[in-house]
Amino acid sequence: MSDNINVAFIGNPNCGKTTLFNAYTGAKLKVANWPGVTVEKKEGISSFGGKQYKMVDLPGIYSLTSYTMEEKVSREYIMSGEADVVVDVGDVSALERNLYLTLQLIELGKPMVLALNMMDIAKERGMRINVKRLSELLQIPVVPVSARKRIGLKDVMEAVRCQTRKVQSVSAKNDFYSADISEKLEFMTAYFKQRYPETKNPQWYALKIMENDEKVMNEYPIDTAGILDVDYEKEIIREKYDFIEHVVSQVTEKKQERDDFTDRVDKVLTHRIFAIPIFLVIMAAVFFLTFTFGDFLKGGFEYALDFFSGLARTAMQSVGVNDVLISLTVDGIIAGVGGILTFLPNIIILFFALAILEDSGYMSRAAYIMDDIMRKMGLSGRAFIPMILGLGCSVPAIMASRTLENRRDRLRTILITPFMSCSARLPIYILFSSAFFGEYAMIAAYSMYLISIAVALLMAFLIGKASGTNENSTLLIELPDYKQPNGRTVFIYVWDKVKDYLTRAGTIIFVASIIMWFVMNFGMNGLTDNMSESFGAMLGHVLVPIFAPAGLGYWQIILALISGIAAKEVVVSSMSVLLGISNVSSAAGMADMSAVLGQMGFGTLNAYAFMVFCLLYVPCIATVATIGRETRSFKWAAFSVVMQLAVAWIAAVLIFQIGSLFIG
Amino acid sequence: MRLSGAKIGRKYIVTDVRLPEELTRRLEVLGLTRGVGVSVMEMKKRGAMVIKFRNTRFAIGRQAADGIFVGGQNER
Repeated sequence: MSDNINVAFIGNPNCGKTTLFNAYTGAKLKVANWPGVTVEKKEGISSFGGKQYKMVDLPGIYSLTSYTMEEKVSREYIMSGEADVVVDVGDVSALERNLYLTLQLIELGKPMVLALNMMDIAKERGMRINVKRLSELLQIPVVPVSARKRIGLKDVMEAVRCQTRKVQSVSAKNDFYSADISEKLEFMTAYFKQRYPETKNPQWYALKIMENDEKVMNEYPIDTAGILDVDYEKEIIREKYDFIEHVVSQVTEKKQERDDFTDRVDKVLTHRIFAIPIFLVIMAAVFFLTFTFGDFLKGGFEYALDFFSGLARTAMQSVGVNDVLISLTVDGIIAGVGGILTFLPNIIILFFALAILEDSGYMSRAAYIMDDIMRKMGLSGRAFIPMILGLGCSVPAIMASRTLENRRDRLRTILITPFMSCSARLPIYILFSSAFFGEYAMIAAYSMYLISIAVALLMAFLIGKASGTNENSTLLIELPDYKQPNGRTVFIYVWDKVKDYLTRAGTIIFVASIIMWFVMNFGMNGLTDNMSESFGAMLGHVLVPIFAPAGLGYWQIILALISGIAAKEVVVSSMSVLLGISNVSSAAGMADMSAVLGQMGFGTLNAYAFMVFCLLYVPCIATVATIGRETRSFKWAAFSVVMQLAVAWIAAVLIFQIGSLFIG
Repeated sequence: MRLSGAKIGRKYIVTDVRLPEELTRRLEVLGLTRGVGVSVMEMKKRGAMVIKFRNTRFAIGRQAADGIFVGGQNER
């Protein structure tokens, strides 16, 4: 055995597995994909009793069959020699269902520990579990734990340490089944052993062959004609549940079903009539918080930026730095990167709200609430979850579409998710709505979100129509108990996104700002003071005729839009570089901007068309790359780019042309 | 009767699941097996519904609800 002990965490979705995992490893995680598949792999290190443990968080799954990617990945990892001990996290409040996975793990025969999570909540509800008896019946160590309150963490590790001394048991127990199935299993095991004498745990393979498991059948071809007349999978599932019912009846001392907290809340939140209005109010509240509270904090950042930018200029001038270099640093880098950083409070609040929606359990309710509308568009309510996550960032949102079983549903969801207004577009709305819409700024910005959802749904419908497949897979999603969001989980989630944002500011936006500064300050004759002679102006001018019908026929605007393909926030930093406004996101900067643009004939209607275009046009490079990766097809990534450009252009033209009739 | 025709707030016993293979198996793995008790928590007019079995809530689409057959708590 290596020095590191590998511990695999496994459990049903919503069982608190990730909370427990985070409790051991903290925020220092290595996140990657499992080789060859688009399933996330999380690893962390924890030490206990002088030993290092490498912890692997397996995807949340309900069973260990080989029907989904997640199940395959988990099963293969556990069966490979890599995992030394398996920690099966089980939620006490849904013990029966959680034990199903436990039985399948027991059959795999790896050293394992059952961590019974949420014991505290169970106790509050008057439920008592006889842990000792459960352990006897299952013949595995069972440890009560509360991941949220961080109780019992050491006990789990203690049990894990004991288990590391064990070797894989050669044959797993099989007394879960009726005499009939047991007999057949015994026979199959002997038959399998004859054919593959070298295999460890032949009984497990025999069971999988009885279940007609695709993967095992392919890897271990065996002629079962005349031996297995039918597929026993359903039989085996049922008998496992029979056994579980027997176990649960013996270990739960007081079983009561009463109208619990979640049921009471759900009566309101999933109500036939009120559910959708409540959902809209919640989303509006998220937006309101992001916009106002974030703006309030933004003031401080702007002040700091102003101070810093002035300081940098004076400092460099005093030591006699070349003027070009000062301009690059102050007008290019500080204005560009700093301008983006001032939006950090808005971004933090948005992700904070999304984290709470996710961790509290509301997100899956949204899938149920929106199912009817989504079904009309040819998708299941489940596809709505990636869409909401798209309000944060398109990249993880597109990856979240992995939970959709149906491939066609998934592809369509991937294509429409970038229409959801991500946080990177927020700075654009804040800047332009505040600069042009005065007291109606918030309404103008909120309307972007409504347009965003409407366009995404419309495109889902149209793409479905075009591909001639508007039949969809039916909804099936667990609605977990509501719980108070866990501070640690929320913090890790938000920190992860903030880190991302800062990294982008330091890399892509940094480079884009320098490039923008360069194309704006250099022309055919080298360094130029007159921006309209620069390379940037030349490029912008070429495209003016195309953008003119949308009210965006200004080379500066076009250039800002092009730069936004790097990352959408860059549109904002480019505006400040382009218009030569040092602190564009401050009140004075915004006034300057609207004045400068106004002189060029760029008014309120143009600004609105601009915002809509920014909302809908090509997602950033990272998103295009993610689409390519997730669909494993360059074609779909290219299609999404062309489609979004077309949609954005059409929408902006419509708004500008129709709007001109009224305002004109 | 079909689960889609059930009433909110009532508890039933699953008598049969007649759905495409894959969906049936997924439901059974979750514990929606013959003989299990299922309560109807919430349902929309012609759409999805929220049900609870083995102490877990699930939202299921109308298509699934149409293929799940239930009886009253006493007719097993």
